[in-house]
Amino acid sequence: MKRRDFLTAASATILPVMLDGFGLKAMSRQSALVQSLVGTTALASDRVLVIVYLNGGNDGLNTVIPLDQYSLYNGLRSNIAIPQNAVLGLDGNPATGLHPAMTGMRDLYNNGKLSIVHSVSYPNPDQSHYRATDIWMTAVDSSQTSSSGWAGRYLENRFPGYPTGYPNTQMEDPLAIQIGYLTSTALLGSQQSMGIALSDPNSFYQLVGSASATSPGDLPCCDAGDLIAYIRKQQALSVGYASEIKSAADAGQNLATYPTAGQNSLADQLKIVARLIHGGLKTKIYFVSLGGFDTHSGQVDSGDVTVGSHAALLGKLSSAVATFQQDLKLQGIEDKVVGMTFSEFGRRANSNNSKGTDHGIAAPMFVFGSSLKHRTIGHNPDLANLTGQAGNKDVTMQIDFRRVYTDILNDWFGTQHTTTNALLFHEFPTVSLFSDTVESVATGNWKDPNVWTVGRVPFANEYVKVNAGHTMTIDKTISVKNIRLEGKLLFTGPYSIQMTG
Amino acid sequence: MPYLDQYTTVLTTKTAAHLLRRATFGPTQSEITNFTGLTAAQAVQQLISNANYSPPPPVDLDSTKATAGQTYLDKPFNGDRNFDFGHYLRYWWLGLMTSQTTPPSLLDKLTLFWQNHFVTTREVVDDYRFVNQYLVLLRTNALGNFRTLVTKISKEPAMLRYLNGNENEVGKPNENYARELQELFTVGAVDFAGNKNYTEDDVKAAARVLTGWKYTNYWVVGSTSFATTFTLSKHDTANKIFSAKYSNTVITGRSTNPSATVTAGDAELDDLVSMLLAHPQTPRFICRKLYRWYVNPNVTQAIEDNVIIPLAQFLSSPTNNYAIQPVLVKLLTSQIFFDESNRGAIVKSPVELAVGAMRFFNQPVPNMTTDYAAFKTYFDFMFWRMRDMQMALVDQPSVFGYEPYYETGYSKIWLNTTTIALRSDYTDAYIWRWLQVKPDYKMGIDLLAWATSLQANFSDVTGTATISCVDVQAAFAKNLFATDLFPSQVDFLIDTIMMQGIPRSSWTFEWNAYRSAPTNTSKKNAVLYRLQNLMKYMLRMAEYHIF
Repeated sequence: MKRRDFLTAASATILPVMLDGFGLKAMSRQSALVQSLVGTTALASDRVLVIVYLNGGNDGLNTVIPLDQYSLYNGLRSNIAIPQNAVLGLDGNPATGLHPAMTGMRDLYNNGKLSIVHSVSYPNPDQSHYRATDIWMTAVDSSQTSSSGWAGRYLENRFPGYPTGYPNTQMEDPLAIQIGYLTSTALLGSQQSMGIALSDPNSFYQLVGSASATSPGDLPCCDAGDLIAYIRKQQALSVGYASEIKSAADAGQNLATYPTAGQNSLADQLKIVARLIHGGLKTKIYFVSLGGFDTHSGQVDSGDVTVGSHAALLGKLSSAVATFQQDLKLQGIEDKVVGMTFSEFGRRANSNNSKGTDHGIAAPMFVFGSSLKHRTIGHNPDLANLTGQAGNKDVTMQIDFRRVYTDILNDWFGTQHTTTNALLFHEFPTVSLFSDTVESVATGNWKDPNVWTVGRVPFANEYVKVNAGHTMTIDKTISVKNIRLEGKLLFTGPYSIQMTG
Repeated sequence: MPYLDQYTTVLTTKTAAHLLRRATFGPTQSEITNFTGLTAAQAVQQLISNANYSPPPPVDLDSTKATAGQTYLDKPFNGDRNFDFGHYLRYWWLGLMTSQTTPPSLLDKLTLFWQNHFVTTREVVDDYRFVNQYLVLLRTNALGNFRTLVTKISKEPAMLRYLNGNENEVGKPNENYARELQELFTVGAVDFAGNKNYTEDDVKAAARVLTGWKYTNYWVVGSTSFATTFTLSKHDTANKIFSAKYSNTVITGRSTNPSATVTAGDAELDDLVSMLLAHPQTPRFICRKLYRWYVNPNVTQAIEDNVIIPLAQFLSSPTNNYAIQPVLVKLLTSQIFFDESNRGAIVKSPVELAVGAMRFFNQPVPNMTTDYAAFKTYFDFMFWRMRDMQMALVDQPSVFGYEPYYETGYSKIWLNTTTIALRSDYTDAYIWRWLQVKPDYKMGIDLLAWATSLQANFSDVTGTATISCVDVQAAFAKNLFATDLFPSQVDFLIDTIMMQGIPRSSWTFEWNAYRSAPTNTSKKNAVLYRLQNLMKYMLRMAEYHIF
């Protein structure tokens, strides 16, 4: 009996295939699958996360366009729909396309450096900018609140006691940097921000100046005392970090050609980030943002729907991210950095009469970097089965955003799973961002996208793992690269699993 | 713990300074003196009655133009100068905030509260006449009635433009304004316990009530007027049904205008505002925000129960019926307002820092109409510095207003590693005096003149006692900080910062040397250096940035 035929069954029986190790094909310790499973925390010490906030609620349906349902798409928003022939196609993914302004991110996708995570949201979504942003930044259930941010909690766990005693020899650099003037809720620890705000590394050192004598530490009572202590700490940190930032900025170099300064604020911010990382700053998290996505009105030009304010924003996003990625590649540090975009909500599937879109629910996230293992997580929203009343349809959630955070904390930063679960208040299933293996998350039919970590049926070129306790029903012949079976398979007929790898 | 009971103690220097710091953009020394000895009620009454409701209108500040110094709001719309004219409105308003020629008033601090509440921005509205009319509406009604304010702002061209109300039509609603009207302007998203105050369907229903409003002559070059219009055919005339959050209110759709002066849109808007203001959370939301603006951003359960709820009951009581002035008086004359634990409980916003320093250090505002070039130089400096410190006046980052008024952390957010450095750079300008406002006017503190004013019989070196470095520090720090410095801090300022580790007696020698030869540059610089070190350091202290 050939191994590949082993999984074929003539009748509907449950095959108790419980092989230890790595499935039915012997794998050496050097195989990609093994490496992907054991190597997740390698190099974790110098890994960097870049968070890109798209402020205002990005219109997901005009960003990632469901070409497989074009007429439904056009019917929902004929006054702003991107013409089918203008949508950018994606390699190996005819169902989905990108907005015509996003050539840079299209190339990243085609090169395997961009993951599209479809229809991201959370249960009981909120449509207030403030509250929704808060939920994304604090990573809570929509019925809960938290005064600290998800990234801030991670940093506080990793660097206990901050800011007392920082900078120090173990961590001489800022834990997090927000390019700009204010620090975001995402970076808040239990007491204060775990990050610092930096607008321009060149002028920062000069502006801060050298340390002056420190006033005695007496504090008055009450809120005034708290505020004074806080301000003194900010003063000390700015002085303490100024020279480290200056040396990193002096040592780092941008090797890619960015858009002209002042034309694309996100590119300007990412340019600084790339330079600081290249200069050796050990900062773990960078936070950058691009505003203007609250497109209630006039998101497309009246003459040409492929241009207009939303196209300009997506163009900035795309060229900024693509240039940044190119810079990292030229600097030789591409494998150290991963980036993610988020926006507080998507927009209504139906457009309004002002060539705009009102607040909605789910929308795609982008994750970018050379370490990503799947270009597509989830699938196009099903436009025939949207939430809400006719004329006011919303995109339904597929992927909880905290699953993406979970992968970043566990697999990118190498955090212990129990710690990650505590930081995010729940355990969330992986979306296999950094693992080339697609895993089952529940018992069910193989064809059901919801039973897989990646929120879709595994592709023929992907490794698959059926987890212990899960039974997958198979009612057609399936191709995968390889399968690791810890659970069970239930064949309903004369079908098989073909292994391609 | 005292809360809303009236504070009856006569104002001391400290309590008078506290009231003036919070109710205005910061006092001068003489204003503090003038308010000392009043009761809180008398003082607040003065701050109200001192309001000037008809200040001179803004003028063209570009000295290269033939129209420099002339008013422009009374002329046809000028598209070529749209940015400038909109921008000068901000200088005009900053001028009112900073002006010292009139007795202190609380009007503009309260107007800024409303501008940051009912946000529209110059950048998005982008027609200077719209921006002006909006600011005037807020300023005129700041102390008036909240019901009137909500009703008028809902139809104001600037707001119709900013939140797309003009694109909200029957069959194709634009929900932008309907949402923010509830979330930000009236009921608030959630109550103090975090429960939602309205539903998504309420947003949709309110949007339908608000259909049909538009404005005329936006950006029409040469036009001499503009107006809000209501178009019945664009209005949704069906009934609008609200959730249990609003007691299942049904707003009857009007298909005809009730009278020649009252449109169907007006009638439904009145119903909507009545419904919003009848929501029990609306007065609490407004009072909580006022408390955070004037008293302390930190609202505890005890404050909610003992200050916010009773003040809210007063605001919405049938006798008061949403009048703003009595509520403000009650808050600013309350025991909780003057409670020592609330002094220094807020980080100064950039406008409180920028305008406050100009006023405290008596930097006169050049006359806008006759001395427009100097006026512009003065406010160019202030406006762009404030913008770098993250407070561009009338250009909030979003409809939520400036982040430190709503985000976790509140006023702390103004300060971080970068803005602290920008703030130091701003206050350093008062020491280095590089800004030439006009030929005979350098912005900044004349530290030598100040120290000289402390010295009796300046020229009589041998016959009159010398002021000590302790005297100088005490004078420079008078009323400068909201909280008291500790003796150890005062010693540090004198010994380490001012005297740089040499004996205090050295000051006497240096000061007397300067008195003996006031034109000798090196003797002058010897004392000036110490005064500069001292004042620069005090303005950089954390204590200076809270109030």
